[in-house]
Amino acid sequence: MNPALNISAGPHVRDRRSTASVMLCVILALMPATIAGVWFHGLKALYVVLASVITCVLSEFVFDVIVKKPNTILDGSAVVTGLLLALSLSASVPLYIPIIGGIFAIVVVKCCFGGLGKNFVNPALAARCFLLISFGRVMTVYEVDGVSAATPVADLLAGKSVDIIKLLIGNNCGVIGSSILGLALGGLFLWIFDIIHGQICFSVIIAFLLFVGLFGGQGFDPGFLAANLFGGGVIMGAFFMATDYTTSPVSRLGQTIYGVLIGVLGGVFRLFGTSADSFSYSVIIANLFTPLIDMYILPKPFAYRKSAIAAMNGVEKKPLLKRIPKPVVVLTVITLLAGLALSGVYSMTKDSIEAQEKAAATAAYKAVCPDAETFEETEDVKAAIEALAGGVYGSSFGRCYINEAYEAKDASGNTAGYVVNVTTADGNDENISLAVGVKADGTVNCISFTELNETPGMGMRCGEPEFMSHFENKAVKEFKLLKGGGASADDEIDAISGATVTSSAVVNAVNAGLDFIHSVMMEG
Amino acid sequence: MRKTFRGGVHPDDAKALSRDAALREYLPKGECVYPLAQHIGKPAKAVVKKNDPVLVGQVIAEADGFVSANIIASCSGKVKAVEKRRTISGAMQECIVVENDGLFTETEGFGERRDISAVTKEEILGAVKAAGIIGLGGAGFPTHVKLAPKDPGAIRYVIANGAECEPYLTGNDQLMRAEADAITEGMEIVLKLFPEAKGVIAIEKNKPEAIAAMEAACAGKENVSVLALPTKYPQGGERSLIDVVAGKDFPITALPADAGCIVDNVGTIYAIQRAVCYGEPLFKHVLTLTGEAVATPANFIVRDGTLVTELIEECGGIKEGLELKKALAGGPMMGFALTSLEVPVVKTTNGITLLPNDAVAEADEMMTACLHCGRCTTVCPQGLLPQIMAEAVDMGDFERYEKKLYGLDCIACGCCTYVCPAKRPLTQIFKHTKAEIMAKKRAAAGGKK
Repeated sequence: MNPALNISAGPHVRDRRSTASVMLCVILALMPATIAGVWFHGLKALYVVLASVITCVLSEFVFDVIVKKPNTILDGSAVVTGLLLALSLSASVPLYIPIIGGIFAIVVVKCCFGGLGKNFVNPALAARCFLLISFGRVMTVYEVDGVSAATPVADLLAGKSVDIIKLLIGNNCGVIGSSILGLALGGLFLWIFDIIHGQICFSVIIAFLLFVGLFGGQGFDPGFLAANLFGGGVIMGAFFMATDYTTSPVSRLGQTIYGVLIGVLGGVFRLFGTSADSFSYSVIIANLFTPLIDMYILPKPFAYRKSAIAAMNGVEKKPLLKRIPKPVVVLTVITLLAGLALSGVYSMTKDSIEAQEKAAATAAYKAVCPDAETFEETEDVKAAIEALAGGVYGSSFGRCYINEAYEAKDASGNTAGYVVNVTTADGNDENISLAVGVKADGTVNCISFTELNETPGMGMRCGEPEFMSHFENKAVKEFKLLKGGGASADDEIDAISGATVTSSAVVNAVNAGLDFIHSVMMEG
Repeated sequence: MRKTFRGGVHPDDAKALSRDAALREYLPKGECVYPLAQHIGKPAKAVVKKNDPVLVGQVIAEADGFVSANIIASCSGKVKAVEKRRTISGAMQECIVVENDGLFTETEGFGERRDISAVTKEEILGAVKAAGIIGLGGAGFPTHVKLAPKDPGAIRYVIANGAECEPYLTGNDQLMRAEADAITEGMEIVLKLFPEAKGVIAIEKNKPEAIAAMEAACAGKENVSVLALPTKYPQGGERSLIDVVAGKDFPITALPADAGCIVDNVGTIYAIQRAVCYGEPLFKHVLTLTGEAVATPANFIVRDGTLVTELIEECGGIKEGLELKKALAGGPMMGFALTSLEVPVVKTTNGITLLPNDAVAEADEMMTACLHCGRCTTVCPQGLLPQIMAEAVDMGDFERYEKKLYGLDCIACGCCTYVCPAKRPLTQIFKHTKAEIMAKKRAAAGGKK
């Protein structure tokens, strides 16, 4: 009895978990968000998901064949990349977007750097950023129920309030994977089953909230914090992007530092940046710091730590609280106090800030309706604006939003005119807001910008009297933009050369305001 | 006191196969083979030659130098040869082969209970040395050396290691159930050497019967207590035990005694009791023959030199319909694969595990690139960074491996390899690298001389 025995070095048993099972768990964890995305965004979303996943798997397969490497698609990592990429795209992108993105993610970011475990940044996020830079126009059209609108974060950046319940469920404008409940459910599942590191995802979230709370100017207002946390891919980033094994540090301390870095960068970009997609960039930047963190933040083995050496030398252990350096305690207390004070100041001054904003708006409205004494918001107008639900107004004005509209009354209470405040998202650089004033007989009085941050010398010239004067005292219902110049009629406006985009956005916004006044206000 | 050590894994302990099989003594039928190198240190020197008659309990090879141990005959008969034979490690080593006459005639001078109330430290150490006792947990360090540290007064804890965290093995479980009083007495004997020390008998919680038996035996004893530990591998590693009992971590260059601890397997403690109270040398010990491939798993008291094939036959051979794919000396975590079954059991062979499947070959099939998931870092009981260590080895950066990553502190427990989802052979890489670095160091030291 001497059978052929297999020889090997121990250990001779292995845990059941394998690369493929880890990837399968991540795919399962992404399912709630994917299903919610398809539910709310329709079949379009499903096509985007399928295109992205299939492209990723195929690219990896083809790459392996071309470079004669063993086939690696069965480990499931390409499916995860495809799914993550799809979930961070809008459902209304053309199908070439996920296909180009998938190829970029797998071939350029993953395979060219050595495949699984060797990519230097998160492939899905890198592809998303690549697409944002290359196809910015189509990438940032977000729709829900066939209506396009600003994303919740764009609204937040514009200082508007955001419906948190919609954010939680995912029934709002945004990427396919925008169901916060679905994402959080999947993320917690991965954390509980020890697939992602709690140090990363929770330090991202805590650092982000602390930063936004401290520097957001609204203190730790729960509604404000929740809106910031649930919008703009923070949850997706914290649970699924930042926790990517390859591009996050190894040690717990390193992981915490990395998480805090993402949270703080995300906060900076959110508060001081203009892009609603900024969270992707913060994760990518932190990815690039990972090798550095792994190089220098190396925890010593237990036996070489100060406490162990002290114990070996018979030194008594200090209690935990006494071991925290004093400056850390002091700084923490000061920071917390500052945050609390800021919250207090914000809630105390909230009303007067609102009153001042109102006064400023009223001043702008007076400028376009000089005869007016007071401005009244009628029930009909209010209902009409609410019916828009923050969506794009009309179909022929680009992305215009009606903010406010008032009937102007003179000293004796008669209608002196109408004023409407419009924002357009089609500006060359940023959103443009303006007030349009119309006399009681329908003649356009003039316009006034409440928000104009275009390129100086080009788009900014729309704010100069020379351009604005074209709108003064014109009995016109709709202006026309002449791109080649030579305007002669009352309703013709010459585009500012070199700033056609801005000019066109302004004219569209004015037309949207006029349309609203004529169809809603004067009819009523 | 910490509840448990940091890190560790929870493999399927598979102890149900043999945990309730009562200990039974097995007497070898055929020839007995005694390798001269069964312990850490210098091989023993044979004191018998061909055709010499031997009796059970007779010293057939003497300790050569301080760190070495006697080898005792476990059967009676005639020396057949002193020659190179294949041993359990797979190597050909010098062995004494005894033709077994099947009578098991014992030498005089042991078996009678002695009065030990006035036994001196020197007598205890002398008895342990004469009995050829070595660490039965697996390492095989000569016990008389371990029991004589530089400063016996600095020892705070004597830990009897009954954790038996290695999957499959149940011999110590059965030994504690059957010989609780003897183990407790053995502990008291060891404590005589260390006036400042407390005795702790550490047992994993998956052995409730053993815990109950030891607690009953220790009841009323001031200086000896039972510590029930969470079931987690490598709970029975000496560093893990010291971490839990004494709250101390120490580098690979230090000894348990430097942390004020002496750790001995419960089997060793039992052997000390037999040696001191009965004058009985170490020629038999507990051994679990188990695994899914064996017909009836058993816990034996087995004599040194018995061939593994005999034991398998005694257990009814390989289970019908199954093929033996892998045979291990010890359990699956720390044990090593046998090249042949025609090898003798030595003092440190505490288990033979026969498996119908080869998990290592299956894992090799599934191996992918490292994911950097960090599970190896989480489970390392030493707080090392296996993933980064493996990268350093890949790049040939042994300097960083040794100095920055403390790679030589790896205790080769196998936790990192066990959990790796990418199925990378981490422990194996580290064992190899450590051997390579040590060889270089020895070569450098030799060159200087």
